[in-house]
Amino acid sequence: MTKVFVDGREVEADPRDNLIEAARRIGVAIPYFCYHPRLSIAGQCRMCLVETSDAPGRLVPGCQVRVKEGMKVVTSSPAVRDNQRGCMEFHLINHPVDCAICDQSGECKLQDYYMEFDHQPSRIRTSKLNKPKREIFGPLVVYDAERCIMCTRCVRFMDEIAQEPQLAVVDRGSHSLISTFPGQPLDSKYSGNTVDICPVGALLNRDFRFQSRVWFVEKSPAVCTGCANGCNVYLESRGNLIYRLLPRRNEEVNQVWMCDEGRLTHHETNEKRVEQGDLARAIELLRPIAGKPGIGISLSAQCTNEEAAAAFDFGARIGAEKYFFTARLDGDGDDFLIRQDKNPNRRGVELAARAAGVTLHDSVEGIKALVAFRTDGLLLEKPLEVFIAIAQNQGIEGQVTLPCQSVYEQDGSVINYYGRLQRTWPGVPAERGESAPAWSWAERILAGLGIAGAPRSAAAAFDLLGLPGLKLEAIPEEGVVLEQLLPAQWPKRAPRPAGAAR
Amino acid sequence: MTEQIQDSLAVEAELPSSTMTVNLGPSHPAMHGTVRLIVTLDGETIVEAVPEIGFLHRGFSKSSEHSTWHQVLPYTDRLNYVSPILNNVGYIMGVEKLLGIKDTERSQYLRVLAGEISRITDHLTCIGAIGLELGAFTVFLYAMEARELLWDRISELTGARVTTSWTRVGGVASDLPPGWEQKLRDCLPRVMELTGEVDTLLTRNRIFIDRTRGIGVLSAEEAVDWGFTGPCLRATGVNYDVRKAHPYLVYDRMDFEVPLGASGDTYDRYILRLEEIRQSHRIVLQCLEQMPPGPILIDDWRYALPPKKEVFGSIEGVMAHFKLITEGIQVPPGEVYVYTEGANGELGFHLVSNGKGKPYAIQVRGPGLPILSALPRLIKGHAIADLIPIFDSINMIGGEVEQ
Repeated sequence: MTKVFVDGREVEADPRDNLIEAARRIGVAIPYFCYHPRLSIAGQCRMCLVETSDAPGRLVPGCQVRVKEGMKVVTSSPAVRDNQRGCMEFHLINHPVDCAICDQSGECKLQDYYMEFDHQPSRIRTSKLNKPKREIFGPLVVYDAERCIMCTRCVRFMDEIAQEPQLAVVDRGSHSLISTFPGQPLDSKYSGNTVDICPVGALLNRDFRFQSRVWFVEKSPAVCTGCANGCNVYLESRGNLIYRLLPRRNEEVNQVWMCDEGRLTHHETNEKRVEQGDLARAIELLRPIAGKPGIGISLSAQCTNEEAAAAFDFGARIGAEKYFFTARLDGDGDDFLIRQDKNPNRRGVELAARAAGVTLHDSVEGIKALVAFRTDGLLLEKPLEVFIAIAQNQGIEGQVTLPCQSVYEQDGSVINYYGRLQRTWPGVPAERGESAPAWSWAERILAGLGIAGAPRSAAAAFDLLGLPGLKLEAIPEEGVVLEQLLPAQWPKRAPRPAGAAR
Repeated sequence: MTEQIQDSLAVEAELPSSTMTVNLGPSHPAMHGTVRLIVTLDGETIVEAVPEIGFLHRGFSKSSEHSTWHQVLPYTDRLNYVSPILNNVGYIMGVEKLLGIKDTERSQYLRVLAGEISRITDHLTCIGAIGLELGAFTVFLYAMEARELLWDRISELTGARVTTSWTRVGGVASDLPPGWEQKLRDCLPRVMELTGEVDTLLTRNRIFIDRTRGIGVLSAEEAVDWGFTGPCLRATGVNYDVRKAHPYLVYDRMDFEVPLGASGDTYDRYILRLEEIRQSHRIVLQCLEQMPPGPILIDDWRYALPPKKEVFGSIEGVMAHFKLITEGIQVPPGEVYVYTEGANGELGFHLVSNGKGKPYAIQVRGPGLPILSALPRLIKGHAIADLIPIFDSINMIGGEVEQ
């Protein structure tokens, strides 16, 4: 460790720390726009200039200067404050009067730092530069050059993290702006992250733009359901709608990033939902055949662990003959965050099946009646005598379709491709119709048939998974690795648990 | 014959009696501000009384925790709603103390000016109500005419008669409108004339004196013990007025006297308020004389909203406006107690900040609460008919008593 003094206070810093990170260790916030802990250093914004004992009388960029044994750092001297104030004044010279129509309002670094460091009128009397106001960069990103402060975080992200250099700075001086290359849109699968790291309202998410002000939505943690990677996310919701997904930091799953496809998974929760279901009729349909041969249970890899465990429990209690496993078709994958398996919980369903001691079949055949726990990828070749579907979205309808809650709406857990057990929480404040977790429908159907004992809560269903020493409530926010599930092969750049072999 | 005599003796004999419990309020016209008194009577004599508050469901403290520092201001209007500007001033001085800033000099004069007008309206309401409920309806009409004249001025100044929300951190919301000073100078003589009419109608009125002198007496010592402040305390002869004892704003530049009573009865509480109206009138006139020109709000965008021209025309202005409105003024962590002379006594605000844009906690020392809590002591042993004048004279205001 390296000992430095920040504002007179001693800090035990990592020798690789820059001054910003060293100061952060004792809660001193050095302001910055262009610095990002995961990107290369640009020194563009000049906001982080501080005084050090190494260069008396000069200001040095806190992002670029590394700590040195015994170094004294001053973060709030008059000279530093004056620079910060001056920086803000310069950054705002050409900034349009846009807060009222800007999606970034409320989470904008310019607003925060202006109030903290400047808070006075501009002295500039020239008119503002006009620049392109709404450049469509790609399918997910739109660019407003007037709001841009040229921090180049987006350019560096595309170069270094996405490794698809699709953005560049063009033109010079105050006329410079961010641009794509001619004829080539910003169509990287990670383009949405440029919006997240943009400290101002220059890059905006086209899906979220003008949908809601950011202070009206409630943020809650969740796990992305877009693929088997299980990226940790925040979902932001109001009423029964989710407005956007943002990456949540987890060094062992997704670092601080997520892919564009995952960013749009909330639309399935918002749109084309099954909202009402006739429970009494489902019970009536099942009453004559319960306990008799010919009943099958299908469950999809979109089920949470609890829904899967409840499905097997339901099958055992109703005397099911066969179990079928359905899933969404594989899609594109890469070696970073995107997995080919587009289901969030294939490993979890397999684990639940092992715990229940049942064999899973792929194609639905040889049965007369079917209860489907989520219908993703379900193919019925010929009509069945009884078909009850517990489904989230419209599409595959049974004789009775019971509305299923989305993973974003319910308490539960999922297991990602490498065996990380992660918790999901109810993140949508208002209910949507009669929708409920599939385990809840199973319990109510059984109760209607006079069969008691089925799990009545997510925690009770979780206990059926046979994971000794683990309770649903006790799963930490960052998840736990189930060592027995760890794979032998890893995607090259994918983040992995600290202990896993490289 | 002998039977008849015996019967008449039986009528003359003392009747065996038991106490009776009477509910006064909460929705009785004389129970100002929806308070309930559970009165135990022995014949016409009050044996015991239990005041019960809480019917207004104010929730002031809790509501304040969910509002920005400025959004609390409208809640303070509704504390003592007969003199709302005094509450506005008291509260905002607390926030300024937390921030360590001061409002502009003109704003200080404006606050004193509008505050003293509010004090006059408060006392007029109290005196008018005493008169009304003792049968002197004329007094009530005179007092209301005077009060409305002043509330017209208040509404011209702030935009509302009662829900003023007029102060701001670092100043006030609006300067005197054009021609307002002359209007005030024109109406003040009429207000004082009407006050004089009330004086002549009540002060030496035989019935009024009989109904108020020696009624509801509290000694100076007891009043201090009960936590009395304001006119009710000074009626007992204790000289404590926050404006003199701990001068704030520009009260140290004002020439005024603190009238004192001697006997601490209903009459003294009445006459004291009458005299305070005259003293407030003096302060108002002095404010008009001394008030310097200048800004009414400090020019620091961390606390005060930028001018609208800057908000609509510059990014700096719109940002400051946006942050102040959505997140509120960033008040450093700490806690303060500020106290000012409200119309009924020491109005204290205890403010706690945890460094965010919203208060962590706010408590109010409404002067009415300790006084109301002494009401059973004041009315005990008096006739039921004396209850209402005594209750009037302490001028309980539901909004400040309940929190």
